[in-house]
Amino acid sequence: MTPAPASLAAEPSAAPARRDVFLYVLRRFGVYLFTLWAAITVAFFIFRLVPGDPMNILLGNLTRVEGRQRDAEAQEAIIAHYRQIFGMDEPLPLQYVNYLRKAVLGGLDLGPSFVEYPAQTKDLVFRRMPWTIGIFTTSVLLAWLVGTGLGALIGWLQRSRLSQLAVVISTLLQITPVYLVALGLIIYVGYTWRILPAGGPYARHLQPEWTWEFISSLLTHAILPMLSNMIVIGAGFTLGMRALMISVLGEDYLTFARAKGLTPFTVLKDYAFRNALIPQVTALAIIVGATLNGTFIIEVLFQLPGLGTLFVQAMGLRDFNTMQAVVLFSIFAVLTLTLIVDLALPLLDPRIRRTA
Amino acid sequence: MPALLEIRGLSAGLQGRRSVTQVVSNVDLDVQPGEILGVVGESGCGKSTLATAIMRLLVPPQVLQSGSMTLRLNEGSSYDLIKLSESELRELRWRHLSYIPQGSMNSLNPVLRVERQMTDTLIQHGLSDKEARSRSAAALELVNLEPKILYSYPHELSGGMRQRVIIAAAVSMHPTLIVADELTTALDVVTQRQILQELIGIRDELGATIILITHDMGVVAQIADRVAVMYAGKIAELGTVNGIFETPLHPYSQGLIGSIPRESGQRVEGLPGEAPSPWNYPTGCRFHPRCPKVFDHCRAQTPALQAQESDRWAACHLYDTEVAADV
Repeated sequence: MTPAPASLAAEPSAAPARRDVFLYVLRRFGVYLFTLWAAITVAFFIFRLVPGDPMNILLGNLTRVEGRQRDAEAQEAIIAHYRQIFGMDEPLPLQYVNYLRKAVLGGLDLGPSFVEYPAQTKDLVFRRMPWTIGIFTTSVLLAWLVGTGLGALIGWLQRSRLSQLAVVISTLLQITPVYLVALGLIIYVGYTWRILPAGGPYARHLQPEWTWEFISSLLTHAILPMLSNMIVIGAGFTLGMRALMISVLGEDYLTFARAKGLTPFTVLKDYAFRNALIPQVTALAIIVGATLNGTFIIEVLFQLPGLGTLFVQAMGLRDFNTMQAVVLFSIFAVLTLTLIVDLALPLLDPRIRRTA
Repeated sequence: MPALLEIRGLSAGLQGRRSVTQVVSNVDLDVQPGEILGVVGESGCGKSTLATAIMRLLVPPQVLQSGSMTLRLNEGSSYDLIKLSESELRELRWRHLSYIPQGSMNSLNPVLRVERQMTDTLIQHGLSDKEARSRSAAALELVNLEPKILYSYPHELSGGMRQRVIIAAAVSMHPTLIVADELTTALDVVTQRQILQELIGIRDELGATIILITHDMGVVAQIADRVAVMYAGKIAELGTVNGIFETPLHPYSQGLIGSIPRESGQRVEGLPGEAPSPWNYPTGCRFHPRCPKVFDHCRAQTPALQAQESDRWAACHLYDTEVAADV
């Protein structure tokens, strides 16, 4: 580090504080890179432990399509050919090195896919990604906003009947698996009452284009999938925020704030909500990771062409390249969101700036 | 001179499923303008409940049961604190009625700078941002803190500093009455002494009246003008510090004073037994199971707080002329 110029000496506390923040960001980024590496390594090996050789599955499909069995020699030749294309003729450690090299240096180039051969997995993932990001990010963020607001309110009014009822309802919703909520919405809202469309990304007769008809169809089709995600996650956020509020309400500084003659609104805003928000932001980071798989299930149930559906297809074929790409992308997305949340925390809590 | 705060028949308790457990029973207390009134007693005797009741800061399950608390301000207006609505209370708080809470170490919000926590109230009470800041800085100087503390977060301050910030905040609007609950309990004796000195300074400079709740007879001896001794939710004895320390009347006060170490080598006399909890207060005089001078009457009749000599009240049958005549 270069020595601080004399002009900075007048303000002694600013320079170390800035250095603390810099160190915090640096350390957090190091942790991020390490976790990313560890996760993609696990992802590489774990899929190869799944029973079933992709080549046999491929060959089986081929046989079914062509309606005749090839002789053993021809089968061997086909398998060898594909193994080479998919880079599976090498020993496992070398495959791993190639995989890392391609993922990091090759710009996420993970080779061709089985599911839509010869389409590149990278293109496949990028084509499916907007659906998942759209549904997932929007629903989690909305659930967080609604849940945090609602939780703060029922925590603040903890003694009222209505807020006790809200706790019971949230608890029930939170323990319901997301696929049950999704199925319920599909059956009742989608088919029995026919209020909203419950399958597919948009109406069948439309083509993706910038028209009002298409966009509104897209949005109405998105409501139910997002709602299923939001109900379950939002209930969790509500309960979490309520518990945080109640514990903050018992703090000495809250009594003092009331004694100072502040209006209930100021007490709620500056003393209760602000303090309860800190762990709630951390909860967002944790939930982001934990609920991505829920989104994958929702995509399958609502027949949305997102990463979840792609992953299920790829799993059936043991399409390592595609599965790795999807997982790589999910890990990257979750870790990056967590990083952003972690970096935002010091803005809320001055104590983290020093101690972290 | 009329009392600044006149408490009559104040009772407060804990709301249970079916009934209320009374913690503070029928307390009468006059607080004179400009004095430091010490309220002493053992843990659980209801002194903090009394303080929070005066501040109207009781939260469920704590409930205010009955009584009146008349606050007379110098401009001639008077209020019954019990009858005030929340918004009227807000107006009164900090401007006339300040509070230094128990556990004041945790009474600052960890995520807001000291400045915000001191000025938000002042701004709410109609001061401009600039006035609020200069008032806060001046208040910090009153407790020997530098104004730059304003830009610190609570976790950057030591315990003693945080305690001083709380005191500074409490006096920043030059309140008429300050209720201080155990304000030196968590501090070492040196800091404790300094803070008590500062509190006397504040009283002299701002002309504030202070109710000091403490379990520490030493603290009371150092700074109070008068003392109210509380036992099991009632006032046992009330008088000047000198009067009570020299000739305590109530056997409980005698026990308390006797348990203060005086000379080296002398054995300290302790009080036998334990203070009763609000769930099983004894009948009659609540002190009778521990009282060395107990007689039949004590078990049946509750003694009233009666004037004994000038500026001295005691609630004990020993000094009740009619009862004493029977014995």
